[in-house]
Amino acid sequence: MRKRLGDYILAFLIIIMLNFFLPRLMPGDAISALYGDALMEMSPQTEAYLLERYGLDKPLGEQFGLYISNLAQGDLGYSYYFRAPVGQVLVGALPWTLSLIAISLLISALAGIIWGVEAAWRRGRKFDRASLVTIMLLNGVPGFVLGILLLLIFGFYMPWFPISGGASPYMDYSGWEQLWDYLQHLFLPALTLTLVQLPRNFMLMRSSLLAVKEKPYIYTARNKGLRDRMVRYRHAARSALAPVITRLGMSIGLLFTSVLFVEIIFAYPGLGNLFYLALQHHDYPTIHGCLLLITVCVLLFNLLADLLNQKIDPRLRELDARQLLERA
Amino acid sequence: MHVNYWNELKKDKFGRKGLYMVAALGIAAVGAGWLAPHDPFAYVAPPLSAPSLTHPLGTNEVGQDICSELLYGARTTLLIGTVAALFSTLFSLLIGLTAGIFRGWVERLLLRLVDVLLVIPVFLLALLVAAYVQPGRLTLIVLFTVLLWPPGSRIIWSQVISLRNQGHVAAARHFGAGTGYLAFRHLVPELYPLLVVNFIQVVRRAVFMEAGMAFIGVFDPAQKSWGIMLHYARDFMFTDAWMWWLLPPALAISFTIIAFALIGYALETALDPRLRRQSYAGNK
Amino acid sequence: MLEINNLTVSFPVSHNHERAYQHPDQAPQNVQPEASASQLTVLNKVNLSVQTGEIWGIVGESGSGKSTLALTLMGMVGEALQQGSIKFKGQELLENSPRCWEKLRGSAISMVMQQSGEMLTPTLPLIDQIMEPYLKLYPRQKETAQRLGSQLLRRVGLDESYFYRYPHTLSGGEVQRALIAMALITDPELLILDEPVSSLDVRTKSDILNLLTEITAGRTVLVISHDLHTVKRLAHRTAVLYCGAILETGPAADCLQEPAHPYTRALVRAYPTLEGARELQGIRGEFPPLNQRPEGCPFHTRCTQSLDICSWQRPEPVEVGRTSLEHTSPIGNGRRQIACHRAGVLELLRCENVVQRYKLDKKQANSEPGNNYLEAVSGVSLTLREGEVYALVGESGSGKSTLGRILAGVDRPYRGEVFFQQQPLHKMFGAAKKEQSRNLQMLFQNSGEALSHRLNVHELVSEPLQIQKIGDPKSRQKAVRKALEWVNLPVTGHFLHEYPHHLSGGELQRVALARALVLEPKVLIADEPSASLDASVQAKIIKLLLHLQNERGFALILITHELALAAKAGDKVGVMYQGKIVEEGPPAKVLRYPQHWYTKTLTDTDTDRDLLIGDKTIPHPKSAG
Repeated sequence: MRKRLGDYILAFLIIIMLNFFLPRLMPGDAISALYGDALMEMSPQTEAYLLERYGLDKPLGEQFGLYISNLAQGDLGYSYYFRAPVGQVLVGALPWTLSLIAISLLISALAGIIWGVEAAWRRGRKFDRASLVTIMLLNGVPGFVLGILLLLIFGFYMPWFPISGGASPYMDYSGWEQLWDYLQHLFLPALTLTLVQLPRNFMLMRSSLLAVKEKPYIYTARNKGLRDRMVRYRHAARSALAPVITRLGMSIGLLFTSVLFVEIIFAYPGLGNLFYLALQHHDYPTIHGCLLLITVCVLLFNLLADLLNQKIDPRLRELDARQLLERA
Repeated sequence: MHVNYWNELKKDKFGRKGLYMVAALGIAAVGAGWLAPHDPFAYVAPPLSAPSLTHPLGTNEVGQDICSELLYGARTTLLIGTVAALFSTLFSLLIGLTAGIFRGWVERLLLRLVDVLLVIPVFLLALLVAAYVQPGRLTLIVLFTVLLWPPGSRIIWSQVISLRNQGHVAAARHFGAGTGYLAFRHLVPELYPLLVVNFIQVVRRAVFMEAGMAFIGVFDPAQKSWGIMLHYARDFMFTDAWMWWLLPPALAISFTIIAFALIGYALETALDPRLRRQSYAGNK
Repeated sequence: MLEINNLTVSFPVSHNHERAYQHPDQAPQNVQPEASASQLTVLNKVNLSVQTGEIWGIVGESGSGKSTLALTLMGMVGEALQQGSIKFKGQELLENSPRCWEKLRGSAISMVMQQSGEMLTPTLPLIDQIMEPYLKLYPRQKETAQRLGSQLLRRVGLDESYFYRYPHTLSGGEVQRALIAMALITDPELLILDEPVSSLDVRTKSDILNLLTEITAGRTVLVISHDLHTVKRLAHRTAVLYCGAILETGPAADCLQEPAHPYTRALVRAYPTLEGARELQGIRGEFPPLNQRPEGCPFHTRCTQSLDICSWQRPEPVEVGRTSLEHTSPIGNGRRQIACHRAGVLELLRCENVVQRYKLDKKQANSEPGNNYLEAVSGVSLTLREGEVYALVGESGSGKSTLGRILAGVDRPYRGEVFFQQQPLHKMFGAAKKEQSRNLQMLFQNSGEALSHRLNVHELVSEPLQIQKIGDPKSRQKAVRKALEWVNLPVTGHFLHEYPHHLSGGELQRVALARALVLEPKVLIADEPSASLDASVQAKIIKLLLHLQNERGFALILITHELALAAKAGDKVGVMYQGKIVEEGPPAKVLRYPQHWYTKTLTDTDTDRDLLIGDKTIPHPKSAG
């Protein structure tokens, strides 16, 4: 566990370094690499202030020190596109993204696990083959394509759901109405994300269960005369879950990629959309901030998966989940 | 038991379909010059024309033939996908092999590095880099190679570890075989199937990433690719044009990803002895 | 309680064993009545009847179908085709629906499965898994389950500290204890133990065996094992399974000590025992793979006494009356059945009350008045069975060589009779006599004397053929070459024309052996075959002799003065002293628990004794710690 924690801290440091060095290693001076288009409309005073504030004319080592100390104080720079401190911009976007992720992750994990268990249990038979084909096809559709199709079908041709945004603008809803409005806006993006993640979860659970299914303890359980459902879930699925959760944790990075697309397509006001806008307008401080925040999220989710695993699988209290994966 | 992966692939229902699909893609990419009705860069008709006999899929907002764009797009996709996958797989092999052969601190260092890289959101990083560098074909290939090697190297490493303990490798080592001999004579051949699977998976990811980046707007306008087509088509998605402009490249991307996924799945099944169907007759 | 009738289980070819019990629920229950060609028959017309309170041991090698039998009884053979009937308390099990099986498993019939890796679910604490079968029966009685579970765990030797541990922290022995507790929690009417100790190390094994002895008392149990010791230890009655067929049934102690069926005998002989001093002998030939099961009697391809009929007709089980041992089993009627066309291991040679005496010359007779005769052999009875090695030990002058000559039909006894294949040996004439002398060969003590120095090797070895008028010169030459090859001698023209005085002692002995074997006898009596040789050559000759015995399948009477050799070579050892057999039995018994004072002096003086039987008892791990 301590080793894993070390990994996370190391990963975090690498991202910080990348964030710091990448713009500074680009051709041209640091300030134009960092502030891009915004520089043109900046007054010389602001420019001088920025140079001074972030030590952009100082040697790299000193700059890095300043960068770290600013970071420690929560100062991620100033976004000229949003006209607000980056930290503030990020905090505004985070809840939208988190709710999107939480809901889709939960549903897709549950559905993927149950579906995967049922398919693996009937390995090679009709249900399994049909599931596999469905999953393969679904897996082939990239998130951005799926999003657009859902948007067209359920937002445009059958206008059941709003096609953009996280909430209806200029409406003075209260209480339940407000929640209902949120949920309506959430539905299509969350559905897209769920469908994007489902194949992966299904395949993970299916192959993990296939490995477990042949284990002697499954025969022991069946030998005891337990109901098939009991064997399948209490004994097999539970034991097969740990590698799935680890991989799920590891795939959070991929999930953020999907979030990016989904938020762009549905103009959902989360981190992904923010990243997109910043990218389009070369608002580098915001881009860096986004990346940093997302990395932290990814690391936290990994950590969460590890902790969850230890709850579920007692073997992992001594063993690394990845060792289990490699053994399986 | 030695397994002929090519035969396994051809025998498997999924694998065979995947092979046909990839073959079709290959033909489209190589033969784009002859198959395409028009030059994809030429302005051949009024913008946004509906499909007709001369323009089976109509034209885009500047009057280029969409069908020709689609065919030429296969080139970009396959080129970037396969080349990046090739280099990235080689890189995975290099790192995995090095870590597996030289135990001790080299192994610890490399594994730690891989573990760290695995948590970094690769796609977003690629976007960040592409924001600074002009994302031409070469850049994308280099970028994908650099970003997509870590998962494969970990799998290869663990396979090398288990191979090292097997009889023939231990025996060769016992006879005094050098590291290079050991690696290329005994380890690498055993890794081929794994490398192929890894290659297939990286192709899939690279295709997806290329399309995704183009869709977001990070691309080199001097090229044709399905992602770029999607990017432009998206602006006209609420018109009827989505049917012949948005849908075809989207389907093409899905087609490619599914094709490689099918092959990958078939190969993995063939590779995994646990899942391999055994019969008494075959158990000689 | 359990009646198995004509049970035949076969698996579809495309699936292997493991996969076969993956989907028990979707098993075809009402199957077609005949097995098609694409079926592999694992169990073939098995009959077994288990009474309440009996402990049965099912013995068999891997591949014999013993695990399949257990799994069939548990309804876990899924896709397999099952014919015949299994009646459990009058209820036909093969007609059970999957639901019925689920109800039965773990409640009325419990099984402790063969250990192979992770036997317990890694994600649940131990006691939860122990309680499950009980909770399945009585879902609401969690407290009772908990109480019963802890009681049982304690009973099998796992205290409170184990209750909430996870399986990966348990040792193999502890897991086995837990599995036993799990099988017992519902107080099943039938308990099946599949290889209960085979994967454990020696010490744990003996602990678990003790535990099982205690726990199985009063229960109806099927113990399935390839380990004869386990079965002997636990079971009252035993059934020997080979290639899916039961070849022998009977009281466990009898069957495994005095096997009646050739296969059982071979199995017992192949089985290493700690107390056994005897050299191991494999069973000749190979265990037939599933898809090449022989027709007729499954063992006939490897049997040394098979007839024509064995290869095409399956023998029906018949009662045999060999109940020479006292019955240790409290239950069961001591009935023994074997399925063999030859009614089990044949009796080849038997002598009854043989007496041989020589007239003493005057001088000697005078020293002991009233006794004009020396009784070299005074009232010896022994029997020799097909393929058996009988080692006759005694000091010089004990009469063992004299007895050997009588048994071989060379000398006539003063009194008593020798029977060869139930015919009185010394009353045979003409063709019968000839036939007898062909089947009964003797290897004399001093080969130098027994081989005429006027004849060369070829003439020596072919002499018996000539005397018996078998074959023409050409076929004789072939037979000679074959015999020489058996004894590892060269068959070059040069060697064939050598004369005895050119040969070494070892070579001479081999030539003599080849001569004795050229007629392919049923019985070979070897009188001190190695005594006149150097130690290194001695060992070779004895090894060769035993190897040939195993491969050719003849019965052997080995006469020797060395107890160590007798114990290593013999299935049975007879100790001869002053013309009498004073002690007889399996070598381990004779060595370890000698009854007669003479044997005791032999075992004491024998310097090899400590090497043969390590008498130091291993401290019991529990009592030591």
